[in-house]
Parts: sequence; structure tokens; C-alpha cells
Amino acid sequence: MRKAFLIAVPYLWLLLLFLVPFLIVLKISLSDIALAIPPYTPTLDVSAGWQGIREFFAALDFENYVFLTTDDLYWKAYLSSLQIAGVSTLITLAVGYPIAYAMARAAPEWRPTLLMLVILPFWTSFLIRVYSWMGILSSEGVLNQLLMGLGLISEPLQILSTNIAVYIGIVYTYLPFMILPIYAALEKMDESLLEAAEDLGCSRLSAFWLVTVPLSKSGIIAGCFLVFIPAIGEFVIPSLLGGSNTLMIGKVLWEEFFSNRDWPVASAVAIILLLILIVPIVLFQRNEQKAREAEG
Amino acid sequence: MSQTVFAPWNDPDETPLIRFKGVTKRFGGFTAIDDLTLDIYAREFFALLGPSGCGKTTLMRMLAGFENATEGTIELSGQNIAPIPPNKRAVNMMFQSYALFPHLSVWENIAFGLKRESTDKEAISARVEEMLRLTRLTKFAKRKPHQISGGQRQRVALARSLAKAPKLLLLDEPLGALDKKLREETQFELMDIQEKTGTTFVIVTHDQEEAMTVASRVAVMDEGRLVQVDTPDVIYEAPNSVYVADFIGDVNIIEGHATPEGERARIDWAEGQPPIWGTPRGAAGTGSGAGKVAFAIRPEKVAIAKEKPEGRRNLLEGQVIDIAYLGNSSTYHVKIADGRIFKAQTANTRRLVNRDITWEDRVWLSFTETAGVILEG
Repeated sequence: MRKAFLIAVPYLWLLLLFLVPFLIVLKISLSDIALAIPPYTPTLDVSAGWQGIREFFAALDFENYVFLTTDDLYWKAYLSSLQIAGVSTLITLAVGYPIAYAMARAAPEWRPTLLMLVILPFWTSFLIRVYSWMGILSSEGVLNQLLMGLGLISEPLQILSTNIAVYIGIVYTYLPFMILPIYAALEKMDESLLEAAEDLGCSRLSAFWLVTVPLSKSGIIAGCFLVFIPAIGEFVIPSLLGGSNTLMIGKVLWEEFFSNRDWPVASAVAIILLLILIVPIVLFQRNEQKAREAEG
Repeated sequence: MSQTVFAPWNDPDETPLIRFKGVTKRFGGFTAIDDLTLDIYAREFFALLGPSGCGKTTLMRMLAGFENATEGTIELSGQNIAPIPPNKRAVNMMFQSYALFPHLSVWENIAFGLKRESTDKEAISARVEEMLRLTRLTKFAKRKPHQISGGQRQRVALARSLAKAPKLLLLDEPLGALDKKLREETQFELMDIQEKTGTTFVIVTHDQEEAMTVASRVAVMDEGRLVQVDTPDVIYEAPNSVYVADFIGDVNIIEGHATPEGERARIDWAEGQPPIWGTPRGAAGTGSGAGKVAFAIRPEKVAIAKEKPEGRRNLLEGQVIDIAYLGNSSTYHVKIADGRIFKAQTANTRRLVNRDITWEDRVWLSFTETAGVILEG
């Protein structure tokens, strides 16, 4: 009885906070736009009885999904999101791995402090941190003033409102999610493995490729997914740091919802995004499970 | 047919494989190895024995190339190895933790070193198979290290370090993680493999029984210095110091004053007690048999009896305080005249119920004049 109750709590939680909203969004995506409150039709009229429920289901269709294929804005936005998320993930990996490596090799008494420093940015609101990047990257911003003051450039660089600013924003925001799993994998690695590799004829560099990298593989994969998955649907960073030509599906979704007030199309965009994300999420879960098995 | 005894250390024409010449190693202010000079010969099974922190592991890590000597030189086949990095040395090491690569199978672990120096797939495969057969691991070739037992992991580590046919194999506490029974079996396996491959083995251990069993020579270390380097029987029968006598096996030590009398030496050790008669070791520098000395005798060389034995000069009377029953033998703790505890060990050739000596009995301890050693006090 107690056990059943313990298991029921997370399942109820998932049901209420994930499955129910998902079903509502799915239903809206199958509806038609309407000038009403709420701005879609049909709505379920329970008072009409069995007849009402049947009419309700008859009015649902896949029209909005068909519409998504007719306008190339949508698939271009999906592709562009995938590309921006993919490139940012690779940059985050390139920046995060050396940091994680240095942390894992640091003296043990320093590690908690270094870990703290990685997590420290979370103490400030994400929105404020993105706004401060606007202050750094704008034409009159800190970065341009510094470069001009040093005489490296004569004209301010246009960084804000470009894709470069979006990349900087994503890499900065998600860096801790890359560092932490890689650090966790590297930290528990036995140093004598590297000595054994050297003893068996490896140079330092080949020992790194043949031993360190494979042993941190699960951390690398986990980090990449933790960056890639939220970056695809990112909305705040492209809308604040990106320009008018920065195309990301999060932004399209927002405009569809709030500017066009077309809830059904916006919902269809969200459902497709979810379907796209299922692939990396399933791969991520598989990686986590494999890592657990390898430890056990 | 006479078998030649393997003792290259007694042959002045033999050149050693490894030479430590005045090697000192300091870590900051701590001296781990203190001006150490040592020769190790090809095909030896050489044991470095000592308590933890005596410098034996540092000595081994210097051979592997993970540490460099602060002073002095180490030569391998007449060549100074200080400038050679670990990956270029014809030396392989078996790590205490085994350090098996967890992401590679047993087969790939053994092949790891071979793949670094050759691309000939068939040659590598043949060598790996040979190593698998030698260590009886053929069945487990495809398993990952976490899927095999501790004893099997130990053999994988051994196979991996032997695969490149090193001139010198270093073993860092190789059997430390195994239980007693498996450890004893594995000791014989190690000796067998050492003989088959003809590789020089240097083993680090703190287990004196292990060192005695496997090694052709044992070096007893203390605080970065070699105390004695000799064959196991000499270390046991003729230790050169109280430290070695005490570290290896069980021993009774009596301090006293020695006076040479002919071939023997008389040791006066307590007021009003009959002296102990010992034999000074003439040729050896220590234990000249005069002045302040320590007389050391192993418990199994002390006979215990209820009746006073006839014709023995070394006789001690006492009372049995304690009996340690070890199954195959029993150790009697006997309190002698000055309150000192003297240990005597006898093999349990008779069943326990037939034992005639028991607690509180008055007994006589006796030993021959050549049974003990006289050590410089």
C-alpha cells in the first residue's frame, strides 16, 4: 500500500503537469482558429451529451499540419534551429571539455570551489544575464569600447542582433550543463589508467585519445544532449540577442501565438518540435542507462 | 646429473640487468630513497620487501619511469634510463589496482600495448592468443573487466604487462587484492610464468611470506635504505640485523653481553641466569661475537619439554603462559626467569588430545649452540 502510494506520487505529477497539458496542446493543434475566447473551435460541450462529444471529435482535423508544409518559413525555422543548436553544442563541448578536464585534474581541495564557480551564474536570473550580454555586445557596449580603446578596430563591430550573438548567448548559458557531466566522468577516472597506457607505449596525447576520451564518453554525450535539447526550442536568447534574420522555431512559435493569435498553428508547431526532440531525448536516455550498466 | 644453482649475484663475471648507483629520491623535504646502490640480474625474481612508506614503491616507479631520481643513476642493460620516458622503456608494470581499461575487453586490454608498436594484425592476434593461453583466460577474451572475478582481473593485468615481452616486469603488490587461498595458488602460477617466459621480475610487497615464496632474492627495506639483500633462506636463517630478524617471521630476541670462548661465544643476558651459548659468524662482518649483542632465535628452533633434557648447554626453565594453536603447529609462550616471554614452536605431529603440555606447566626450553644468530646490538 505504502509502496503503491510512493510510486503513484511521481506518476500523478507527470500526469498532471505533462500529459494533461500535452493533450490540451494536441487538441488545440487539431482545432480551427476562431474569433472567440478561447480563440479556437470546437470546444467540448458536455451538456449536449453523447451527440456533443461526437460532433466535437468530428470537427478535429490535421489542417494545421498540412498548412505547416505549405509555407517554407516553418521547415526553414526547424532546420535553422537544429543547425544553431548543433553548432552551439559543438562550441560548448570545445569550450567545456578543457574546463572540466582542468577541474578534474585540479588539487582535490580546490575542486569544490571550482565547482561552485561553475554553478555560481545560476544565482542570477537568466534574463538579467542575457540582458547584460546585450550591454557587452552592443555597438556602444563594453566589448566594442575595449577593442576600440586598444586600437584594434576603428569602427564598432556589429555583433548584437546577429547569429554570432545567439551563439555566444547559447554557449554562455548552457556551458555548465556541458561541464558538469564531463567533470563527473573525468573525476572518477583512476589516474593509474593513464600511467598504464603510458607504460604500454602511449604518448601523453594518444593516452588522452585512447583512454581519457573513451572513459568520459558518457559524460560528453550527456552534456551534448543537455545543451542540444533545450537549445533547439530556445526563445529568449534569439529574440533578445538575435536579429530579424535569426530564424529559430521558438521565435516563430511565439509570434504565431502572441502576434497572430493563431493558437492552433502555434500548437501544431509545438507538437512537431516535440516529435523532433523525442529522437535526441530517447538517445540521451539510452546513453544514461548504458553508463549506469557499465558502472554496475 | 648436477643442476647448476641460479645465483648470478655470486658470479663476478655476470653483468647486472639493473644497476642503482647511489640513487636518492626526495619529495620536497622528505627523503623516500636514501643513497641506494643495488644490482639486479637478468632472469631474477627479485622482491622488494618492507613496511608501507619504506620507499619500495618509489623504487619501482623510478624503474617504470614515473619518477626520476634526485641524485645518482639507474642503468638498464648498461644504459642510463633517466632520459627515457616510460612509453619508450623495455619495462612494463603490473599495477596494484590492475589499472585495466574498463572500456576495453580482456582481449583488447592485452592487445593495447602491442597495437602501439605494430600494425601487423595477425602478429598481434597470435601474441594475444598466446598470452590468453598462458594465463588461462581464453574463455574470457570477450568479457569486459567488470564482468570477471578479481583473480581473473589479476591474470589479465599480468597478461597485458607480459604481452610486449619486456626485459623487466614490475609487479606492484600484485596479489594484495586476492584472498589468502587464491593468493597462494597465484604465487606458484607467477613463479611458473616467470620461469616459462624468462623475464626478470621485480615484485613489491609488504607480505614477507609472499616474498619468501616467490623470490630468488629479497631486499628488505627500511626508511629508504636497503637493510639486507639476500636469498630468502639467508634472510630467514641469518638476518644481519635485529630489524630484519624481527620483520621476517617470528623471533625471540635477547640482549646481552658476549664473550668469545673458542669456537663459541658466551652471552650473559641476566643476573643469576645461566649464559646462552651461540656461534659467532666468522666471515660476516656483523655478529663478531663480542661486546653488546642481540641473540635471535626462531621459535621453531626451540625445543620444549616437561623433563629436563640431558647434555644441552642452552637450557631455560619457565612456565607456559599461553598456547597459540595454529592447526599444523602450536606456539607456546613461556615465561622465563626474568619475566621475559620466550616463544617455542612445535609441529603438531600428534593429535591435540595427546598433547602433554598445557597451561601453567613448568617446562624446559632448549636449543643447540648453532640454532640462533648473534647480532650486533
